[in-house]
Amino acid sequence: MARSKAASKKQQKQQQKRGVDFKKIKRKLGRKLPPPKNATNTEVKSKAIVLPEQSVASEKAGLAVSKKGLTLKELLQQTSHHNSKVRRDALMGLKDLFQKYPAELRSHRYAVIEKLRERIGDDDKVVRETLYQLLKTVVFPGCKEDNQGPFVSLMVAYIFNAMTHLAVDVRLMAFKFFDLVVQYYPPSFSLYADKVLQNYEDILRKNQFYLEDKAKLRSALAGLVRCLSLLPCNKRKVDSSEENMAGQKILHAFELDMPAESSGFSSITKKLKDLVPVLVNCFQDFFPSVHHMPLLDAQSFDCMHSILQSIDLVVGFFGYGIHQGKPASQLSYEGPDEAIWDHTISSLLLKKLFGVFPLNPTNHLSEKVDDRFFILNIVITEIFLRCSEWICPPGFLLEKFLQYIENALLGSTCSDSRSGKAVWEKHILLLLPFIPKLVLQVASDWKSCLLQAFTKIFEGCNPQSSLKLACLSAIEEMLIPGDDMVYPDASDPLFEYQITWIRALPQLLILLGDKHPSSSQVVLHLLLRLGQCANSSSPFSREYENMQYSLDKFYSSCVDRGDVYYGPFIRLSWDSQELAICGLYYFSNLGPFLLKSIAFCCLCSELEHLVLFRIIEVLHSAFSAGHIQIADYISFFMTLLSRFKVLPENIYPDVESDAKISNRGTFKLLTNTVCSCLSRIGDDSLVFQILEQVIFDQLLLKPPLDNACALLRVLVVLDCKPTRLSEQGIITLSKYLSGYLFEVVHCIPEDDEENSLPTHQQTCCYYMLPCFFLFDRSPKLLKLVLNLMGSLITESSSSPSSHSYTQYGNDNSNQINAVVSALLLMHKDTKVRKIISSFKEEVVHILQIIHSLQSSDSENMNFEERHKIQCAYSRLKLVTCMLPNEVPAS
Amino acid sequence: MELLIASSSVADAGIGCWDLESGAEQLRYKSCASPPHGLACVGQRFLASSQLREQPSASSGSILYWSWSKPQVEVKSLPAEPIKPIAANSHGTYIAGGGQSGDIYMWEVASGRLLKKWHAHYRAVTCLVFSQDGSFLISGSEDGCVRIWSLLTVFEECESQRASHLYLHSFTGHTLRITDIVIGYGGVSATIVSASEDRTCKVWSLLKGRLLRNIVFPSVIDAIALDPAEHVFYAGSRDGSIYIAALNAESPSTSSYGMHIIGSLSDHSKAVTCLAYSTGDLLISGSEDGMVRVWDPITHNIVRMFRLAKGPVNNILVVRRPLYLNLGSFSNPHTSSRRHGSQLPPPLDKYVTSADEDVDNKGVIRLPSLYNAPRDASYISHRTIDNHLKELQQQGSSAATEMEVERLKHECNRTLQMVQQWKKMYENLHEFCVNELLDGDQVDGSKRNAV
Repeated sequence: MARSKAASKKQQKQQQKRGVDFKKIKRKLGRKLPPPKNATNTEVKSKAIVLPEQSVASEKAGLAVSKKGLTLKELLQQTSHHNSKVRRDALMGLKDLFQKYPAELRSHRYAVIEKLRERIGDDDKVVRETLYQLLKTVVFPGCKEDNQGPFVSLMVAYIFNAMTHLAVDVRLMAFKFFDLVVQYYPPSFSLYADKVLQNYEDILRKNQFYLEDKAKLRSALAGLVRCLSLLPCNKRKVDSSEENMAGQKILHAFELDMPAESSGFSSITKKLKDLVPVLVNCFQDFFPSVHHMPLLDAQSFDCMHSILQSIDLVVGFFGYGIHQGKPASQLSYEGPDEAIWDHTISSLLLKKLFGVFPLNPTNHLSEKVDDRFFILNIVITEIFLRCSEWICPPGFLLEKFLQYIENALLGSTCSDSRSGKAVWEKHILLLLPFIPKLVLQVASDWKSCLLQAFTKIFEGCNPQSSLKLACLSAIEEMLIPGDDMVYPDASDPLFEYQITWIRALPQLLILLGDKHPSSSQVVLHLLLRLGQCANSSSPFSREYENMQYSLDKFYSSCVDRGDVYYGPFIRLSWDSQELAICGLYYFSNLGPFLLKSIAFCCLCSELEHLVLFRIIEVLHSAFSAGHIQIADYISFFMTLLSRFKVLPENIYPDVESDAKISNRGTFKLLTNTVCSCLSRIGDDSLVFQILEQVIFDQLLLKPPLDNACALLRVLVVLDCKPTRLSEQGIITLSKYLSGYLFEVVHCIPEDDEENSLPTHQQTCCYYMLPCFFLFDRSPKLLKLVLNLMGSLITESSSSPSSHSYTQYGNDNSNQINAVVSALLLMHKDTKVRKIISSFKEEVVHILQIIHSLQSSDSENMNFEERHKIQCAYSRLKLVTCMLPNEVPAS
Repeated sequence: MELLIASSSVADAGIGCWDLESGAEQLRYKSCASPPHGLACVGQRFLASSQLREQPSASSGSILYWSWSKPQVEVKSLPAEPIKPIAANSHGTYIAGGGQSGDIYMWEVASGRLLKKWHAHYRAVTCLVFSQDGSFLISGSEDGCVRIWSLLTVFEECESQRASHLYLHSFTGHTLRITDIVIGYGGVSATIVSASEDRTCKVWSLLKGRLLRNIVFPSVIDAIALDPAEHVFYAGSRDGSIYIAALNAESPSTSSYGMHIIGSLSDHSKAVTCLAYSTGDLLISGSEDGMVRVWDPITHNIVRMFRLAKGPVNNILVVRRPLYLNLGSFSNPHTSSRRHGSQLPPPLDKYVTSADEDVDNKGVIRLPSLYNAPRDASYISHRTIDNHLKELQQQGSSAATEMEVERLKHECNRTLQMVQQWKKMYENLHEFCVNELLDGDQVDGSKRNAV
């Protein structure tokens, strides 16, 4: 339509034509003929009409538009429209636009905020509300990752402006906006703390507003609580955040002398001092509503709660400043006015706040109201406890509070309903951190009362609740002697409870299982700390020692018939496992009971092999510190080596997947580790004597090949060149070794010779090597083994199934083949060849036996067997012939 | 001219002593079975070592002294409880010892007096280190705690009573026994590196009292040595290799060993038990197999090897060769011993004695003297010093003022000369500038003409 209008206008534009045919008539100057009376005025007046962006359907094609088809620019213009509805619609449109096109917000965020900030002080309530929603849901989340400093600074000036607006509504809303800013950009509080606090102070002073508009006030106060909670008030929190920083930074990075944070807060101490009386007065103004109204409505409760929380935070900040100021006077608290505020504030709090404590409902109407009073009282108690760290309250007040604390801990001041319990749990948390200090301060009768109540909570609460965690941290503070390293004596009431707590810890650890790793970690850390300071002079050392009898279930416990029940240890995270393992070091006498359950854990296939080696490492440290008996230590290793299940049992896994899940490599590493640990014990010959019989006993039980090999390796590591084996030992060992050699040969594929893969060679070597070492050190052993082999063949030929090693060879031929392969293997090794050459007659004897066998009962054998024996015979013969040629018989 | 000194836990090995440059073995001091960190060279005057107990039943350990010139033990002290780690400050005025109960003992060497004994740790002390300037003592314990003691605080009665704790910092980051501690240069802003059986080394800041870096190693670290420039530190591990860990820059985490570990030196078949760094840019390591290896840390090659014992080496010291100790005295110990006589201070006391009781018959700290000075007068009673002081107070004043006047006159002259010099310089400069300007104008003028 617009277009056609424009067109028609154009047509009308016509130049008045002047005829060329008519001659110009010269007239006398200065005179003019009057126009004729019937003349019509043909003059047409026209003006250009500028209609911006009326015809821009094409222009908008590439642009982001809102639902109503308006661009960002249009919407921003409309936000300053004089009609409030248009403004609101524009804001809605912006929200819509940004949700659809987040990139639009990112590229134009400064322009957007410059326009939007004007609306912070808008007169219309709905517009402000819409703006708040827009900022909260779209703008701030969208700009989160960017550098927010300049962004926020653009807004803050307008917020402060609105805070001093004439209309109360606008002012309260401004606090809400500031709250939003702080939520998304916490440093903004420290930047503008001075102004904000001043504004809060002003608005709280004008108390005629509260009672009218509690809802608004509530949100403003919530903002104050949020701001104040940014004040540093807890030293531990600051420390821990610093600890986390370590490791990522450059070591000698340049740092400012003054930490930025505290310098930001140091200037506002005075403002905070002024704020406290205002808050207290404000709190008092709510009293009438408490006492006269039948029930405490939610809004005034929230207001009171926020006020109290604010006071609490401010007091906490002062306390922090005092502590901080002592070692390094970084903060400017030590000015001359320190004593003054100390005095004024504390007297104010004493008179106006603690004086009215405890707040009691006039009549018991509902549980909800009871709970609300409980919450308020708890916060007042917290303020009191904070204050009592630096002022000395009068005795009667202390009594009153102690009485209340005890009741609160016992849960008698709170309703019994389920919601009441939840409220109690949530708020009693606030008191728990103060218990350790309180226990140190108060007289002994109160001490035992408090401790009893505390212990009741500790025992009663759910293992995975946050209450338990708070209890644990309080316990840590009370258990671990502080800087003076003084332990309580037995007469102290504290001591009895300490013992109770310590005894509860292992149980708790098992109850927690593997589902709550963070809680488990806290308990384990506490146990470790306990172990570290439980030296022989400490009264806890006995308790710590006894703990190993209850800790076994944490690792594993053996049910009857060899079934093992694994405790939570195996499934915990690496950090927790590390803590648990380190705790083992501090048992001054780690007994076989706990070692056994740890050993079962180590044998579990689920356990990470890194953890396994870590356990061995720590146990070795404990052993060298004299915390484990040598017999227990050795039997721990023997258990590991003889019971470790190597998977798969087949040495050469046929399938790729088998090779992947194989833990043979781990076992080899384990063998090496155990060997090095055993050789580090000290006098090898003594250790050897202890171990000799143990290993023989294990070997005679016929463990799988891998385990047997590991045991033999241990023997070899501890042995030396002229062997330390006893006579009896050599005989026993020779019996075993002949069988072992058979087994090794059987496990290696027949076609070994032809393929001779390097890996096969290596594997073969791995199993044969300990035998070679033994033969080298004791030639007698070799002789016995050779004799036994010979007799084995004859034996098996007479009664094939009688011998136990014939499970591989169901007939003679296999048996003979095995013997020959074993001999050939020995012959391959140059060193053993030398030794074998000195026992040529034994080898020849075997050869003869085979020969005689071949000739004697050839009728019993089929063709294949006979061929096999023939082959074996010729192979052996070849070798035998070579023997004296290679090395002259010595 | 540096000497390499190594001791073992096996008694018959004794203390080996080699010339680091030539590799020639010097005297071997007999009958020493030292625990780790139990060997100290006291002010380059003599060697001291705490001893492992022969039988576990023996209630007390001992601390032995050897003078440079004699292989036999010369002085034997019996402290109140078994002492394992000992340390002496660089001047050799104090010896600190760490007890099994967690106590630290502090002796004055010259008199043997036990100056102070305090409860430092929950469990046995495992290593003790003095800072370079001797103002801090750093102790590590079996309970994994590292504590830093300012000697000023420890000895000042009122200071120690006022503070809630005696130590300056207490680092509880380690979970297991501390195996070694080293401290860098830089006085109060030095960095401290501690190693523990929990497989980590931690880098701490002495000034800020907090953890700077935590490095996890593949195996337990038993010994550390600091590179003199403090770019890296070397960590000898139980798996036999010496790892090199970065101390300053952010190292790429692509290293196969772990974060911050930039390489390793490896040859040891057995665990590395102690490390030392010599000023001649050599890294010296002692191993469990009884060998002492000297490495070139740049090429990662072994330069030399010494054999000490069959048992593990557990202490290595690198000290400057005392000047009076020439080779002749080694080859002929009898003559040298006759010449010097027994110069060693008295044995260390067992208990703390009250301060003033027997001060007169005890020696005082010798005024600092050269190592090669004749040491006949090393044992002066404290009366002598008192007399000295008195004399200085009475006579020193007039002489001092005269000297001061002389000095001022001299300075005045010097300053006048200086003024003259400055003036001349100014004139020169002025002249130069004027010339420059004039020249410039001429050039400009000529240019304009040319245009």
